[in-house]
Amino acid sequence: MPRAGAGAGADERGPPLSQALATDGLTKRFGAVRALEDLSLRVEEGEVFGFLGPNGAGKTTTIRLLLGLLSPSAGSATVLGHRVTRRGSAWRAGVGYLPGEVAFWPQLTGRVTLDFLGRLSRRPVVDQAALLERLGLDEETLRRPVRTYSDGMRQKLGLVQALQCRPRLALLDEPTKGLDPLVQEAFHALIAEARRDGMTVFVSSHVLSEVERLCDRVAMLREGRLVFAGDVDELRRSQRRRVVATFAADVDHLALGHFGEVLAASPREVVLRVAQEELPALVARLGMLPVNDLVVEPPSLEEAFLEHYR
Amino acid sequence: MSVGTLLRHLWRRHRAALLLLAAGNGFFAWAITRVVPDASRTGLIRELVDMAPAPVRIFLGEELVANLSARGFLGFGYVHPFPLILLSVWVVRVAAGALAGEAGQGTMDLIGSRPVGRGAHVAAAALAILAGVAAIAAAGWAGTAVGLHLRPLAGVSASELLPVAAMSALLFAGAGGVALLVSATRRDGGAAVSWCAGLLAGSYVLDYLARVWAAIAFLRPLSLFRYYEPQRILRAGVAGTDVLVLSAVAAVGLALALAVFARRDL
Repeated sequence: MPRAGAGAGADERGPPLSQALATDGLTKRFGAVRALEDLSLRVEEGEVFGFLGPNGAGKTTTIRLLLGLLSPSAGSATVLGHRVTRRGSAWRAGVGYLPGEVAFWPQLTGRVTLDFLGRLSRRPVVDQAALLERLGLDEETLRRPVRTYSDGMRQKLGLVQALQCRPRLALLDEPTKGLDPLVQEAFHALIAEARRDGMTVFVSSHVLSEVERLCDRVAMLREGRLVFAGDVDELRRSQRRRVVATFAADVDHLALGHFGEVLAASPREVVLRVAQEELPALVARLGMLPVNDLVVEPPSLEEAFLEHYR
Repeated sequence: MSVGTLLRHLWRRHRAALLLLAAGNGFFAWAITRVVPDASRTGLIRELVDMAPAPVRIFLGEELVANLSARGFLGFGYVHPFPLILLSVWVVRVAAGALAGEAGQGTMDLIGSRPVGRGAHVAAAALAILAGVAAIAAAGWAGTAVGLHLRPLAGVSASELLPVAAMSALLFAGAGGVALLVSATRRDGGAAVSWCAGLLAGSYVLDYLARVWAAIAFLRPLSLFRYYEPQRILRAGVAGTDVLVLSAVAAVGLALALAVFARRDL
């Protein structure tokens, strides 16, 4: 069972800080359905952590367990140093949460909604004005009932309510869903700044490019089980490279077959998928052949993701 | 602090409905004072009442049937389905909307992810229900008082109806406890509304049938409406056992709602 928190990334960032959240064998069953099975994760304070998985993998269930909205069938979770239970709620003052399917009270205005949720948070609303400006929600919009908002405007309102009190830990479930590219850019910049300010961000997403760009480490879920946890770079390194070799003369591609999987071959070109540790030997072998061009493509997170879910 | 914030939130969501329900109850009570027959018309009405079948006379109430008094008519106004429906609408709307409704529409995630204990949700909903039924019942009594001021009726004062209005509030406080318990167990507002409305209607029908049909008379104590009889209150005063039973139902319903809601998944 892969476990996050002890990966190579910790060494690169120096000694680990205190944990923002940790789960130990966290399990949730809904009747006969196992939504989450034996999840053990560690997220250090101040890191941006990506939580990946296809729909129904258990990402939202995990976040709801971390907030105490659901109670675990087995295992435990600790958030900001507090054991998560249904009793006791003061620790949630340090948490900002954006639900995956954010819903508001349709008859209330955006302004009333933000003020109400800000008061409930029991922390000063320090970043509301800046967030509204950065995400493009003006006062005129906030004076309208939420039922008149588009999906994108609701998502912006959701982000503002989650981050307006500058939480120590932000749990963001599909944060850029419905946002246009410009607002996505603004959101990415906000998260980068939040990380610099020491906020821990736990992002659940299936937008791989976003996770690749934002996150220090990632965990992948499949059917409720953790299939990978570690650095984004580590994940990429663990994946095979795509190698395209073009030759000045005809070659026998069978001679290259034992270095990796041959994806396509012709007398003057061969396309291979090769593990990182096989690359030096392959390059040495290619040096003996009339190579015209050589391309080694680093795997994208998307390829890594797909490889884990095949 | 959280209870206060949640109460203000409930007020924002339900204030228009509360004002309408209170105004409706006040208007209805005032209208009843306008249609109470004076002594010159009681003979004709006596003949009509005597011709009515027994179930209808039971529905009208013992005091009205026995004496055809203005007091009896006013008491009938307090047990008429219209004010009972207005009070039921408030109880069901707030109870179902505050717990199951918020969970069903997804907004409970926003509240539940904040430092708010689950008890605060239930407490705020309970306070909103109590305040609302008190306001609607008070509006009904105010309608009676204004009506009697404008059209004085011999032998009747508005203060006599104050305990009746208070007992109607207590009846729906009891109903509110049950409705909160139902809401605490449901996952969406629609189901909670159906269950709460069904239980209230069932309780009302059970009380009526148990009065009409001797074979099931023993079931009458199971109905909340058994403990609210305006014409008996006008004749003999408020019965301590009725107050006790309705208060106990409200308190037990609230306690169970707190226990269930604290343990459930949201």
